[in-house]
Amino acid sequence: MTKHTKIAKSHDDVLEELADALDIPPSKFEEAKSRYDSIGAWLDRPESSLARYSPAISPQGSFLLGTVTRPLTLAEEYDVDLVCLLQGSKTAFTQKSLKEAVGNEVHLYAAARGMAKPVVEGRRCWTLTYADGAQFHMDILPAIPDAQSYRQMLTEQGHPILATSPDLAGQAIAITDRTLPQYARPTADWPLSNPQGYAAWFRSRMLIQLTERKIEFAKREHITASVDQIPDHKVKTPLQRTIQLLKRHRDCMFADDADYKPISIIITTLSAHAYNEEPSVSAALQGILRGMDRFIENRDGQSWVANPVNPAENFADKWADEPKKEENFRRWLEQARRDFGTYLRSSPFNSIPSPLRENLGSDLVNRTLQAVLPAAAVLATPAVARPAEADQTRRAEAAIEQIQRDGPQSKPWTRS
Amino acid sequence: MDQIVGRSGTLLTLDQVRAAVSFDQPNLIAESDGKRIRLEGTYLVFEKGVVAAPDGPITSFEISMELSERYPRQEPRVFETGERIPRVAERHINPNGDCCVTVWENWLVEVNDHTLSSYLNGPMNEYFLGQFWYEKTGKWPFGERSHGLKGLEEAYADALGISNNAESLRYHLRLLSHDWPKGHWLCPCKSGKLLRHCHRDDLAAMHAKVPPPVARRMLSRLKADGRL
Repeated sequence: MTKHTKIAKSHDDVLEELADALDIPPSKFEEAKSRYDSIGAWLDRPESSLARYSPAISPQGSFLLGTVTRPLTLAEEYDVDLVCLLQGSKTAFTQKSLKEAVGNEVHLYAAARGMAKPVVEGRRCWTLTYADGAQFHMDILPAIPDAQSYRQMLTEQGHPILATSPDLAGQAIAITDRTLPQYARPTADWPLSNPQGYAAWFRSRMLIQLTERKIEFAKREHITASVDQIPDHKVKTPLQRTIQLLKRHRDCMFADDADYKPISIIITTLSAHAYNEEPSVSAALQGILRGMDRFIENRDGQSWVANPVNPAENFADKWADEPKKEENFRRWLEQARRDFGTYLRSSPFNSIPSPLRENLGSDLVNRTLQAVLPAAAVLATPAVARPAEADQTRRAEAAIEQIQRDGPQSKPWTRS
Repeated sequence: MDQIVGRSGTLLTLDQVRAAVSFDQPNLIAESDGKRIRLEGTYLVFEKGVVAAPDGPITSFEISMELSERYPRQEPRVFETGERIPRVAERHINPNGDCCVTVWENWLVEVNDHTLSSYLNGPMNEYFLGQFWYEKTGKWPFGERSHGLKGLEEAYADALGISNNAESLRYHLRLLSHDWPKGHWLCPCKSGKLLRHCHRDDLAAMHAKVPPPVARRMLSRLKADGRL
């Protein structure tokens, strides 16, 4: 994204700038992209053992959704989640043979590039770690297309409309899991996943703002291309910005308890549900923080955060066995409401209260404020901001006129 | 409407109250003693629909608020605790010290959203914005009700959409108190005709707007205040 630092004049200007500072820097994004493109080219080179399966590498998770947040410390890395899709079938592969076929080529790639750190096999993916300066690693998920099984599963679960959606179900994949008993056996019973379907759902939740931001981007950059030709990652919607801020708030709040912090997919899914195309980050924060927990279902006594493209999958499935995770989610939500509410509702825009400052990272907040505010404008935080009296009266008069236009809800009365 | 007529049976919880105030009114703290939920702290007054203003809220008041778990069937009680508002009827403070924010049944009928958020951002905001404006100008920006029984009658007549006549208001409310007004009753327009041959459709529309439990409560309050 092109950076346009300006002097902040509102809470939204500050929040946009904070979220921008949390985003992966464009140079780092391009570096990650060029590296996974390089892996894709390697897998698809003529002498590759996978070339006949037309392998393709594509991002999933926060890289695909545009909600990546900078790691909390320089010692931590960006986690770039990738799908390695082969145009193969369950008759050509077992889960094990697919995993090993991809793993073999990933090992060759690492050796050819002289990568010092070993390729690590995970339960479902291969992890490729770059030299220390790169500050990211790639989780490569071997997969084959399997929309048919996915659609059948959705139909059997009673979701026929979802099953027939090309966007939401048409790009589902079968993946591998080395802990399953049928891992090495020829079978049609493979785990299924649908990262592209989830991304299509997520995109649909912010389509109006995505389009508007692309139009603004095209005007700003004097681009004559149609909106559809502008890549999504060139702009950020209030939903994406809000999720970045909330993930950062979560990271700071649980810096010492990372194993039990609310997971990103739950924050992302509930936020996207609660988002109602609000045009600003402040309004998005209000709508999302007020309402996100309303989308936690109760299914037979179990808290359920349904995968929107596979409602039988519960993103909160760990909460039943580890109640601390649910407690932490609810504690985090209450804290986020109060922290962002205190800033937006009771503070002037140029004064970020201490709890929010700490839960977004003092260094980040200080750097951002220094960049967007003249030094004299950074205020200490009063308990409740008090505008100048003339401004109060002027604002009250305008507020009264607006209520009178819309029709007041009530008139004061007094009992006898 | 289910909530106010008592059909839903759901009770307000401390978590719901916290969810309603934590973002919009972050300086209010909610606690429960097991019977009532109490909100205490600073109430922020804003322009309608505004999330954040560059300079902060227009003004703020120190308040305490008592909520029954039967909200919205039971009206909350609001107290201004900063001693900024004189404790006199002219400032719409009741004799027992609570703020007379609105005539509750009138709000239940006039507005569809009876959530706590809606109350805090609607009548509460208008009441304290009004108090601020009165401090500055000596005028109530949205008008005011007469005190006591007369004000109740004004509010109920407004809610029903009829002219304020004590006898007519009570007759309307008696009709509306029934699950379905009887067609053989006399029409409240005083035409002398039976309801089924006169304003039956108008009364049916009024019945949909003012459900029987609310009409019964209005009647009950009119009787109680009439005895004072």
